[in-house]
Amino acid sequence: MNRDDAFEAEVLPQLRGLFGMAYRLTRNAHDAEDLVQETLLRAYRAFDSYRPGTNVRAWLYTIMNRLRTDALRRRGRSPQTVELVGDGPAVSPAHEAVITSGREDVSRALETVPEHFRDAVLLRDVEDFTYSEIASILGVPPGTVMSRIHRGRALLREALAGRKS
Amino acid sequence: MSCDAERVTALVDGVLEGADRAETETHLAACGACRAQAEEEREIRAALRGLPAPELPAGLEGRVRRLLRGARRPSPGVVARRLLPLAAVLVAGLWLRGSAPVVAWELSRDHDHCFSKAKLPAEVWAGDPSVIAEWFAERGRQLPLLPASAGQLMLVGARRCPMPDLSFAPHVYYASARSQLSVFLVPHDVRLEQHFASRSRGNTVALVRMGGSLVGVVAEDPDEVAEFVSRLRTSVARLDVPSAR
Repeated sequence: MNRDDAFEAEVLPQLRGLFGMAYRLTRNAHDAEDLVQETLLRAYRAFDSYRPGTNVRAWLYTIMNRLRTDALRRRGRSPQTVELVGDGPAVSPAHEAVITSGREDVSRALETVPEHFRDAVLLRDVEDFTYSEIASILGVPPGTVMSRIHRGRALLREALAGRKS
Repeated sequence: MSCDAERVTALVDGVLEGADRAETETHLAACGACRAQAEEEREIRAALRGLPAPELPAGLEGRVRRLLRGARRPSPGVVARRLLPLAAVLVAGLWLRGSAPVVAWELSRDHDHCFSKAKLPAEVWAGDPSVIAEWFAERGRQLPLLPASAGQLMLVGARRCPMPDLSFAPHVYYASARSQLSVFLVPHDVRLEQHFASRSRGNTVALVRMGGSLVGVVAEDPDEVAEFVSRLRTSVARLDVPSAR
């Protein structure tokens, strides 16, 4: 199998997942498609540095995350961060909210969570990456991944509770 | 163990192991707040997993395939196959450039070209060989010692004759009432032992090594060429004599 066939065989099956993540990151189909195409083009050019049989998904998501971070930086903003005081409400008006939330609510609540935290939560809960994979995709230490996931979920809980109350 | 919310997150995600895990589980059994956090995080996970995947835009896979096809680099084998004919032409060109018959043909053609014109396309007009030699010296080319005349042929002038490889060959004109003769200084090496003579395009062409130069002599009459070459050799020999004396 030549290089081009090997690339397509490894990468094209990831298209649906990549688009899903790109869509959640950019929040519109047009930007998501641009991001996916740019990611695959970049991956194609870097394919010689990819070792076949290793984690192709994590490799592609790393490229995509880097592209998006660069794009945001060019537009003059880094991904949003917020100062959190404490860990947010530990328990529970939110508890019921999560249980009774519809998909629409969850999607809308996600949009209120700053990107740093949201990306970590999405990579863990939607894409099912391990902490160390997420660390390598986002380029942060695993401890930071744990803290971002924790805070991301706490903010999501708050947002859902706010929506319900 | 006191409450550690991040450890609860780690427990939910299954990344705690061994003693850490056992300790956190024990804490959870006793702490309602942490138990509730774990429960909520599990519910959030479930809710996020349940989010429907956004629909893939129609034709995305086709667009991606086209994009990748456009980005393809030709493989080294394909590059080699594409360059092969070009390389063959270059090698052939270089080989032909060093081939005496090819050079003879080219000089014969240049001779006819110049002498067929109503007025010779000379850049310098002189009957004195030292004037011609000086003119070329100023343009970075040393000529061997040329005669002012040979039999009926008289030195007339010279020009820089453009060659196919973009270099130039000094082209010196001799003429009599009934014939013309060209002397060329060939600007590159040619595969030949000491000399080469042939008929080409109706002319006689001789290629002769003289000192460090390769000289081409072209005229219609073979005898005139032979006589001129021997005259040249004598001039060069005469040039060598003073140092030998």
